[in-house]
Amino acid sequence: MGKLNDAVMSDRIPTICYQCNAGPDLLTVRRENGVAVCVEPRFDAAGIHPADGRVCVKAFGLIQKAYNPHRITHPMKRTNPKKGRNEDPGFVPITWDEAYDTIASKLKRIREEGLFDASGYPRVASSIGEAGVPVHHMGAFAAFLVAYGPMDNGYGAGQGIQCYHSEHFYGELWHRSYTVTADAPLCNYILSLGSNTDASAGVTGVWRGAEARSRGAKRVQVEPHLSVTGASAREWIPIRPKTDAAFMYALLHVLMCEHPISNLDVTFLKQRTASPYLVGPNGYYLRDANDRKPLLWDETSNRAVPFDTPGIDPALQGTRLLSGIEVGPDGKEWRHEQVEARTAYDKAKDMIQHHSPEWAEKICDVPSDTIRRIANEMLAAASIGATIDIEGRTLPLRPVAIVLGKTVNNGWGGYQCVWARTMLACLMGALEVPGGTIGTAARMNRPNRTRQQAVKKGADGFMDQALNPTEQDKYEMRPKSRNAYNVLVPLSLDSSWSPALGPAHLPWLFQAKKHEGLPPYTLPDFWFIYRTNPSISSWDATFVAERMAEFPFTVAFAYTRDESNHMADILLPDAMDLESTQLIRIGGTKFMDQFWAHEGFALRQGVTQPPGEVKDMTEIATELSRRIGILPEYNRAINKGVLGVRLSGSGFDFSLNEKAAHSVEEIWDAVCRAASFEVSESHDTDGLDWYKKNGFRVQPYSKLEWYLYPAIVDEGLRFELPYQERLLRVGHQLRARLHEHGIRWWDNQLVEYEAIPEWSDFPALWERAVVGMGRKPEEFPFWLLSSRSMQLAWGSNVGVQIMGEVAKNVTGHGTLVINEDRAAELGINDGDIVEVSTPKASTRGRATLRQGIRPDTILAIGQLGHWATPYAKDTVTPSMNDLTPISLELTDATGSSASLARVALTKIA
Amino acid sequence: MDAQGRMALTRYAMVADLRLCVGCQTCTAACKHTNATPPGVQWRKVLDIETGKFPNVNRLFMPVGCMHCADPPCLEVCPSGATDQRADGIVTIDYELCIGCAYCTVACPYQARYKVDKSAFAYGKTPTPQEEQRFDEGRLGVAQKCTFCSDRIDEGTAKGLKPGVDPEASPACANACIAKALHFGDIEDPQSNVSKLLNENVWFQMHDDLGTNPGFFYLWDEGKI
Repeated sequence: MGKLNDAVMSDRIPTICYQCNAGPDLLTVRRENGVAVCVEPRFDAAGIHPADGRVCVKAFGLIQKAYNPHRITHPMKRTNPKKGRNEDPGFVPITWDEAYDTIASKLKRIREEGLFDASGYPRVASSIGEAGVPVHHMGAFAAFLVAYGPMDNGYGAGQGIQCYHSEHFYGELWHRSYTVTADAPLCNYILSLGSNTDASAGVTGVWRGAEARSRGAKRVQVEPHLSVTGASAREWIPIRPKTDAAFMYALLHVLMCEHPISNLDVTFLKQRTASPYLVGPNGYYLRDANDRKPLLWDETSNRAVPFDTPGIDPALQGTRLLSGIEVGPDGKEWRHEQVEARTAYDKAKDMIQHHSPEWAEKICDVPSDTIRRIANEMLAAASIGATIDIEGRTLPLRPVAIVLGKTVNNGWGGYQCVWARTMLACLMGALEVPGGTIGTAARMNRPNRTRQQAVKKGADGFMDQALNPTEQDKYEMRPKSRNAYNVLVPLSLDSSWSPALGPAHLPWLFQAKKHEGLPPYTLPDFWFIYRTNPSISSWDATFVAERMAEFPFTVAFAYTRDESNHMADILLPDAMDLESTQLIRIGGTKFMDQFWAHEGFALRQGVTQPPGEVKDMTEIATELSRRIGILPEYNRAINKGVLGVRLSGSGFDFSLNEKAAHSVEEIWDAVCRAASFEVSESHDTDGLDWYKKNGFRVQPYSKLEWYLYPAIVDEGLRFELPYQERLLRVGHQLRARLHEHGIRWWDNQLVEYEAIPEWSDFPALWERAVVGMGRKPEEFPFWLLSSRSMQLAWGSNVGVQIMGEVAKNVTGHGTLVINEDRAAELGINDGDIVEVSTPKASTRGRATLRQGIRPDTILAIGQLGHWATPYAKDTVTPSMNDLTPISLELTDATGSSASLARVALTKIA
Repeated sequence: MDAQGRMALTRYAMVADLRLCVGCQTCTAACKHTNATPPGVQWRKVLDIETGKFPNVNRLFMPVGCMHCADPPCLEVCPSGATDQRADGIVTIDYELCIGCAYCTVACPYQARYKVDKSAFAYGKTPTPQEEQRFDEGRLGVAQKCTFCSDRIDEGTAKGLKPGVDPEASPACANACIAKALHFGDIEDPQSNVSKLLNENVWFQMHDDLGTNPGFFYLWDEGKI
């Protein structure tokens, strides 16, 4: 070892960081004598990357991640047939040849015997974690998955409880928005209910938020504890947990019931929403008897006309006597003569009028004056009537946005919250316009290179959304996955992502207990797990780990030992971020807060040599394909564009020979050449070497694509709000279908299919869960919540020393955060060991006492509690995941719950 | 004039906008990479500070480290002459001269100095290749602290680059900041970014009552924390 400043051979390698779903971001790694020593921003990406080429703290863990001595460096096999947390797997090294043969022979046999079992379930399952980010790490393995055939991708690792589940499903329905954000560069007022973007939205989220604050934008943070994002907000409102819908209903009340409608964006409501649609006595749109189109009242001609009649002035309010038909579930029709029909706007207002700020004050523990002030501030900030020129097109400018965080936008009440949020935006004309509340990306709807591409004209003037059919003649009772997403959740759609988004916790429940009406549950014969750790990140993590131990054969791609590959039969060491090769798309718009004025491609490339016998995922995929005998299908999938770009088209052909096994370099060189052709307007065909040297290549991307409003206008469409007629019908049909097949255990979830979502006492659901466990709610007087750790979330960073070290600078990491005054009442001092418990489970940690948390709330940051992951297991940290039971009672209609529990607090030492 | 009575034509300083810092510790990690500090040693770090009583609470994040004071207490107490001050205001430590007495560590009102007596690595006794490549025996048993990345400044200015403007001539922490909160430059140059920030905003220096005149300025609308 020498001195720091000894002469060294130094170079810089461009690559990317895509450890979380807020990426990808560009960076360089400085090497000295071939050793990676320093991560640096990509300064020459200033003006291209939305954060001028910066990366967040997580990227600085990449080098230690690569050099972690705890890595699995050789394929391993289990020697102890017994599986379980307390069983030593007895892993021993094997050759790649043995690993490949073992895996390929099993997969080949399954493929020859049939990919589905007697229950109709895929015999092979695969789970990838981290919200799909691993697709951008798995090289050509995506092509292997396609080539092999159907697999069950529906075993969850915490999705539903750890994600923005209701926002995903309803956001895609209403505005092609898998996640929702503020148009930060133009927004002046951001109401954030628990949206912890400074920890969760990556470098672009922090950068854009800081720029907004610099120019005076105001953010109001509504959340039970003062998060890192709340720290930089202008105002913190400590709301009672899980009452956010009540808060937003009161905001709606102020706008709809305390202001004349003329103060709202009447033009937007009339032309771009279903507010003027008339609703009949059975709750369905009153339709023209001839063309079956929803009717609205035209104030120009003073008569009811179909919604798409040109030149009309729709009435937003009023009840009128009209004739027409209603179309209910399963083709049921009502023909009406002179029946009362009320506008959808008034139907919403009828409900909202009961939810004044004074009503909400008692529920939310937020003064009514504060709620009323916030509503009025938002309305003032909306600057209704203002316009802005974006690249030659005049669009509304509404610089006000509402963003929601986890536990607000998932689980029971999530529907109400996302509906209220989107309604607030509609009332101010601030949905999908510059400055307003906008979506980031479409994931469930296709094609989705841009969100605008995913806008297709559907029935009744709305965007098409291919809900899983519930009509009697179209309903599919046979689950496509063991989580039965297509059977239970019409909103989950049926795209490649649907199984992973569906009620992905249900297979674990079905495995433990038979549920009537579904085909008999079977274990998959073979399970791949890749970059996911369900034994830690799932709700009811210990329960899930026990179920995983029951699987007959599991292959885990393994970075280090962890709590999930503890149950595996084979460990395959795959190359990490700084060791592997993959070209990915960058730019355009993407969650969490990536809004680029460019789009193109960037290369992740080897900066360091992988240790031992660690292999690139592309090499593994090719060899498995060869040994199984699916090389043609595998190469064909690559040629068709599974790796992000088609390899042939008009004027170019870089297709791979389908019969040959190609090297990692050959495959990515072909992909790079096709990408260059696309991004250079057919001028260039630069290959892998060019990207290795330069890192990325982009072309301009129109900012008009940031907003959905232009596409909605161009297609002559409306946002499907406020009234959810379609969901009302679907709910009735789903109930009928499920009952026809003997399924009544999903009845509670069917309550959510309301046309106008009513407030319900959502916090009481968690209190009732305590009663269901045989105890009294008053014995568990605290709410336990979790919060995102920017430093430790994603990317296996819990096992990376530098991440743990710097995370400790952010108060609360690895501890339980408790209100200081409440702790004093209980005799708890800072640093004491305390236990939080539900009737069934408990977790311990040191107390951190703060003023920035409600007295009835306890906070556990991150998802920790590791017991097998090296380094992480040596730090005693509390985890709330064992305290959130997987239960149908706490599962909403989309298949999600919230990271929330009623707990008792006890001082231990 | 600096502490040695030299005419100051340049004084490098850091400006941290507390309204923008989000406490992400990207600067902390970037510093650790650039300066190869061992586990637990953070020449740059960000404090997580809370003031007020529930529900009227403020939380803010405050980058700290060596303040490169104009009148540094560490320099006064240094018996060996290891601690010195450059003409551009940067307070330095000559590891060859430092005797490890730690007077400076005690004297520093900003707790900015570290002294590591034994080698320590991220994963136990064996260094990772990164640590092995960058290990510096000369830092054992001596005082160490933030240098404002003076080596980067010197190499950058030698190439005609401008600290605070050109990343290659600027400290790693300011380069890495993802919240536009950390700014570096010459406060003697009225046209520099830091001079403009100080002219246009309310600012304070930490422990300014001690008369150290830190080269680290905090922007904060409400005045001193």
